[in-house]
Amino acid sequence: MASDTLSLKIEFGGGLELLFSNIRSHKITLPHLVPIDNSMDGTSHVPSSSTPPSATDGDKPIKTKPADVTYLMHYLRDNLLKERAELFMENGTVRPGILVLINDTDWELEGEGEYELKDGDEIVFISTLHGG
Amino acid sequence: MSSCGNPATEVDALMPRRLKFDRSKDCVRCKEKPGNIVIRHAVYCKDCFTPLVNMKFRKVLQPCINKTISSSRRSKVKADGNLLISCSGGLGSSVLLDLVHRSYFSNRPPMGEDGKPLGGKDHPRNETVWKSAAVCYVEICNAYPEMRDRTEDVRAVVESYPGFEFIPIRLENAFDASWWESLGCRLHDKQFAVNFSDEGLPLSSLSTPTSNSTPLEGLRGYLTSLPTQTAIFSAIKTLVRVLTMYTARRTRSSHLLLGTSLTSLSVSLISSISQGGGYALREELQEEWSSEHDDNTELKDMLNSVRVVRPLRDIVMKECAAYARWNNVKVVGREKLSGANHGIGGLTKDFIVGLERDYPSTVSTIARTCAKLAPKDNPDGICLLCQRPRQKGIQEWKTRISIRSYDDAKLASDSHIPAHAHPSAETDQCCSRRIFPSSFTPYLCYFCHTTLTSRSSRSGKLFTLSKGNASNHTTVSLPGYVSAGLSNLGPGGDQVYPAGGKEIGEMEIWERKKTSLADMKGTVAEFLLDD
Repeated sequence: MASDTLSLKIEFGGGLELLFSNIRSHKITLPHLVPIDNSMDGTSHVPSSSTPPSATDGDKPIKTKPADVTYLMHYLRDNLLKERAELFMENGTVRPGILVLINDTDWELEGEGEYELKDGDEIVFISTLHGG
Repeated sequence: MSSCGNPATEVDALMPRRLKFDRSKDCVRCKEKPGNIVIRHAVYCKDCFTPLVNMKFRKVLQPCINKTISSSRRSKVKADGNLLISCSGGLGSSVLLDLVHRSYFSNRPPMGEDGKPLGGKDHPRNETVWKSAAVCYVEICNAYPEMRDRTEDVRAVVESYPGFEFIPIRLENAFDASWWESLGCRLHDKQFAVNFSDEGLPLSSLSTPTSNSTPLEGLRGYLTSLPTQTAIFSAIKTLVRVLTMYTARRTRSSHLLLGTSLTSLSVSLISSISQGGGYALREELQEEWSSEHDDNTELKDMLNSVRVVRPLRDIVMKECAAYARWNNVKVVGREKLSGANHGIGGLTKDFIVGLERDYPSTVSTIARTCAKLAPKDNPDGICLLCQRPRQKGIQEWKTRISIRSYDDAKLASDSHIPAHAHPSAETDQCCSRRIFPSSFTPYLCYFCHTTLTSRSSRSGKLFTLSKGNASNHTTVSLPGYVSAGLSNLGPGGDQVYPAGGKEIGEMEIWERKKTSLADMKGTVAEFLLDD
């Protein structure tokens, strides 16, 4: 049986690390199944946690999906980002000018935000914009 | 999705988005390996990508190295002087450093035991395209209160490339008379100050050679007196460019390389056009610069001009980012400043970067289209501030097409109307022609004049860099090279003084003043026919 959690390596470059406590490389653990609306409810907010998501919210069942890059971006924004979220995300996706590489491959070749994350994936976010 | 209409009312207003890549996910070059990156709908693998970037870089730079620009592959490539690379610590210039080093300086000849190249330095094998290379970094942290000094970070990056000399400069050097003198700029012991609150930009001369203010105070006074955020960003960009060009001159460089990528070039072009810089559009792409008021005759004899080249002009930012990642290029970077997006430059950048993501091919169209444009008339001279060609008759044209004054007292009392348009403004409305320049306006291009004088209609307040940092002075000192340019002006306006030129007191002074209706009638009264 597959594990309920995914271990991921996240890297920031091109100055984007300045928004994430100036730390370039992060290791995080995400649940395999996440809320379909990318909300953080029912999932662990603490990096490296292996707590699986709760499948219910009181009496209402939460609709879930396999964890994808869009969820990862929301997770990073809500848990690791320290300042100025508008410089990382815009209109539910990554801000224009940020290159995303999934296992060293352009995310445009992998289905962009819909790419389903796998255990051990390496996701890199590089800002191509310099200053203001 | 970017729109090309109003999607709320028009169903077909949204431009249909193309697929991100054509055909398959395999590399279009080797056709074997799975692709790693999509560049303008074409897929490339990691192995083919780096040679592709290298090829695009050399394709632009190689024909510009010899004095005569030639695309012939047979001619021997040899530069007239040294090389200066401008580095901001950003992605483009970091990639440029790496590419230049790999292409022209990494294959240094084998050294003998004595540390000298085997076969002697004059051996044809040991000849390099440029004799030496230096990297110039202009630190702009003193222009923004929240910015960190990154000189040492950039130094560490530059020193990781053997053979590159590091030349750090500070933005405030532009206001340091002794710095300019050390570069061979003749200031004639004079510094000029200008009043930005008056559209005529009246000049005054500072009595002491270096004035009492420090270069840093001079810089801050100059920037805080500018009318808009757009003007501040443009002024900093111009100062950085001019400081770098003069440094190229000092280092006897025949070539100055800038790390402007296709994306940033498109941003610069659109931003420059929207600020009134259309006349010097060709210079935004490539320029040959020579200082007109250079006192250093040795340099003058040796070098005709500095050729400013942007070798990354066919490479988009995405390619730069991937190149840096896959070739371990260290990028210093810079934090995005709060409020930076409110200027025309910031807004244009946001627009172009968004456009590049949604429709990648359109960004190259901007640069290609601009490369076909040329000004209709020959220039009137060189703008003393930006050192680029100046169009003829700008002020006459401005006077013709815009409202310069209001007769209606109600309208004139409106606080949004600029000071020069008030009926009480008795000062000269246009240029004053004096042998000693009384006004800065005639020596500025349209772009610079607009930058210095155009106020935002929404706020009459000056943009302040930080709380309590606004300048209370109405006149601010001008950068050293501008003072040198003004000092060298002769009676013709643009000619250089002969040695021992006339003193101000001996010179003829022409002024144009607004005359009242009654005065005009009085002057021609004897010629008027009776009613």
